[in-house]
Amino acid sequence: MPFAVALALFPVLPRDASTHGHRVDGVLGYLTVTTSVAFGVMLLILLAALLLHRGRNRTAHYTHGVRPRDRAAALAAGALVLFGIDAVAVVRSASGLRSDFWHYPDGNPDAYRVEVTAQQWAWNFRYPGADGVFNTPDDVVTLNELRVPVGRPVYLQLTSKDVVHSFYLPNFRTKIDAVPGSVTRLWFEAREPGTFEIACAQHCGAWHYKMRGELTALNEADLTRWLGRAAADAALRYDAADRPAHDGWPWMPAP
Amino acid sequence: MDARAVSEAIHPPPAGFWRRSVFSTDHKVIGRQFLWLGLVFLAVAGTLAMLIRWQLAHPGAPVPVVGSLLFPATGGVVSPAAYTALFTMHGTIMIFFALTPILIGGFGNFCLPLLIGARDMAFPVLNMLSFWTMFAATAILTASFFTPLGPPAAGWTSYPTLSTAVGAPGVAQTLWVLAIYLNGASSVMGAVNYITTVIRFRAPGMTFFRMPLTVWGLWLASILNALFVPVLAAGAVLLFFDRVFGTRFFIAGSAIKPGGDPVLYQHLFWIFGHPEVYILILPAWGIAGDLLSFFSRKPAYGYKVTVGALIAIVVLSGVVYGHHMFVTGMSPLLGEGFMVLTMLISVPSVILGVGWLGTVWRGSIRLTTPMLFALGLVTVFGLGGFTGLFLADVLADVYLHDTFFVVGHFHLTMSAAVLLGAFAAIYFWFPKMFGRMMNEPLGKLHFALTLVTVIVTFGLQLVIGYAGMQRRLADPSAYAFLRPLMPLNRVVSQAAFVMGAAQILFVVNFFYSLFRGPKAPANPWQVGTLDWTVPSPPPHHNFDQVPRVFVGPHELGNPAVKAAHGVDFQPQNQESPQEPPG
Repeated sequence: MPFAVALALFPVLPRDASTHGHRVDGVLGYLTVTTSVAFGVMLLILLAALLLHRGRNRTAHYTHGVRPRDRAAALAAGALVLFGIDAVAVVRSASGLRSDFWHYPDGNPDAYRVEVTAQQWAWNFRYPGADGVFNTPDDVVTLNELRVPVGRPVYLQLTSKDVVHSFYLPNFRTKIDAVPGSVTRLWFEAREPGTFEIACAQHCGAWHYKMRGELTALNEADLTRWLGRAAADAALRYDAADRPAHDGWPWMPAP
Repeated sequence: MDARAVSEAIHPPPAGFWRRSVFSTDHKVIGRQFLWLGLVFLAVAGTLAMLIRWQLAHPGAPVPVVGSLLFPATGGVVSPAAYTALFTMHGTIMIFFALTPILIGGFGNFCLPLLIGARDMAFPVLNMLSFWTMFAATAILTASFFTPLGPPAAGWTSYPTLSTAVGAPGVAQTLWVLAIYLNGASSVMGAVNYITTVIRFRAPGMTFFRMPLTVWGLWLASILNALFVPVLAAGAVLLFFDRVFGTRFFIAGSAIKPGGDPVLYQHLFWIFGHPEVYILILPAWGIAGDLLSFFSRKPAYGYKVTVGALIAIVVLSGVVYGHHMFVTGMSPLLGEGFMVLTMLISVPSVILGVGWLGTVWRGSIRLTTPMLFALGLVTVFGLGGFTGLFLADVLADVYLHDTFFVVGHFHLTMSAAVLLGAFAAIYFWFPKMFGRMMNEPLGKLHFALTLVTVIVTFGLQLVIGYAGMQRRLADPSAYAFLRPLMPLNRVVSQAAFVMGAAQILFVVNFFYSLFRGPKAPANPWQVGTLDWTVPSPPPHHNFDQVPRVFVGPHELGNPAVKAAHGVDFQPQNQESPQEPPG
């Protein structure tokens, strides 16, 4: 109960900048209200017992075993939580996963693809350039700065050079681990232009707290202008011999 | 068995100091040894928590008073590297070297034979070995503080590849792995012993459904220990090989060098790690269940249903570990499966809660210090348990994973609730262990301060995590979206400091009572379990006569007993005056 009151008084969730984050906020809100009510009821019963049934002069009510109505009370409490809280949360969550968060835009030609290589303590972003193919000379590479379009799915594939990191977008209500030796994926869609923080959520060494990036959501025109300039820039600086710079991989087909 | 044969089975206590007090095979001595070890490391890990909270309240400011002593190289400031070592060692010590030894090692050893009417554990020498293996583990872990590249710093979970040579080249992490392995060996030795003792050494008439809930909690925790600690040991061995012999079980391969998968370790760790939560809380639940009944002066409500709920939780705890890995990129099918299984745990948990509430309802409640701590456990576990639903839910967890919401949740459930259970046990069994009573007013003050600060500290951590703050940040203000949370972080720290200071009351009470407390009678709490039918402290062989058990552990408030004997409790080894009504 105090938790619900506190949350109502101080809207603490970070600003939701994504198209689908409201589904997470919906589940969070539902769970906050229902579990607060359940916890509140429990506390009330406990306090009532302490106030009413305290003291040396009272004779305790002696019962043995479980009477039918006691069994009914226990089952009712279990069923209330199972159907009132668990089932609703599971259904809402599964639907949010199936239609949005784990419904990856593999067949979507509009999806904006970026490869992310995490390392201690930075994020490398690789954009495919004009040819749409990764690991070619026209790839654009940025450090700690991810630029994405507004209103189009952004589809990331991630890996790590060293230890496990976790790519966390508080304003988009999502995160995914970046694991050395495998490629994980994540997608989201920005609802509005703006700059938001990219955080590392997995302990990755002493400077874990400094592994911060920035995500800038741009209108289509702004993004095209930036991408064109950056591609030209990248072509100028391309060095075929600099093998460590070519850490991209051919885009992985859906598993 | 006639009385003569029984009395012949009594061994006299060993005469020499070493055999009597150090390398003892007496479960009561070993229990006290585990308790001392656990309390010492509780103090160490608690101090580390204070330093963590200082850093989160005032990042970059030198630690007052002890700073220049602990961190001379930085002028008393907690460096980011030192910070990662602090939370790593805080978690490791609290879980493996403080809470486990106090509840399972300490009270498990001390209470289990007394509660079931046995003269000792099934394997007394193995019992001694279990303690000294734990002691070796603590020595190794303590040594890791003083290694050239600093203490272990890969988190209490020590995920590869951060915990392999890739991220932790120092010898400290190798010592950490060894300490965890030895700790696990100690736990398994204890577990085998407890399981056997409960199955084979119950006194005549002590059926499974006449065992105190404390014994149920310890026994079920031991079964989980025996099943799942070996999985952690397997992970530790592979990690040790990776670090020392250059294998690549957890280090990813490349085109020219075949390799393993760091996520494999996470599976091994959490197959153990989730049951570990229940290994810690089950004894505390059992103790709370007994104490609520004792101090409400009525039988535990729905005793058999409570036991059933405990067993259901134990079974489910083995099949839900995947919720710790929702953001590793697991298959959606597995994700949804683990979500449903995890959610199911709420049902037996709620039934457990109904049992607690039903026990105090219409009782004759006596708010002694042990009772207060048991009630505190119920409250704190309630708050922590309900927040677990958020983390079982994939959609909510993807946002909340690795945030302070997780920190608040598991501190409430498997740390604060367990600690409150441990305090309840200490205040309750201190007279039996040391033959003297603890001071009640001081205990109540300790309780009040601890409960309030626990709820403020970990409750606000839930809010901070809900607002998105990640765990394990040496300086949260590095992120713009976390800067508004810094005042809240300072409040958490201040509450934590008060919590830490309040424990001084406990230390004072403990040592004062140890030497100056009033002598304890055999049965100060007026309850009927077998431990209170023998003198305080019990003789070396526990029972002059192996008791015969007639009734369950919570025969309180029976009008027929009151009429026949003038007291409201019936010792388990006393025949009923007549069939209890209803």
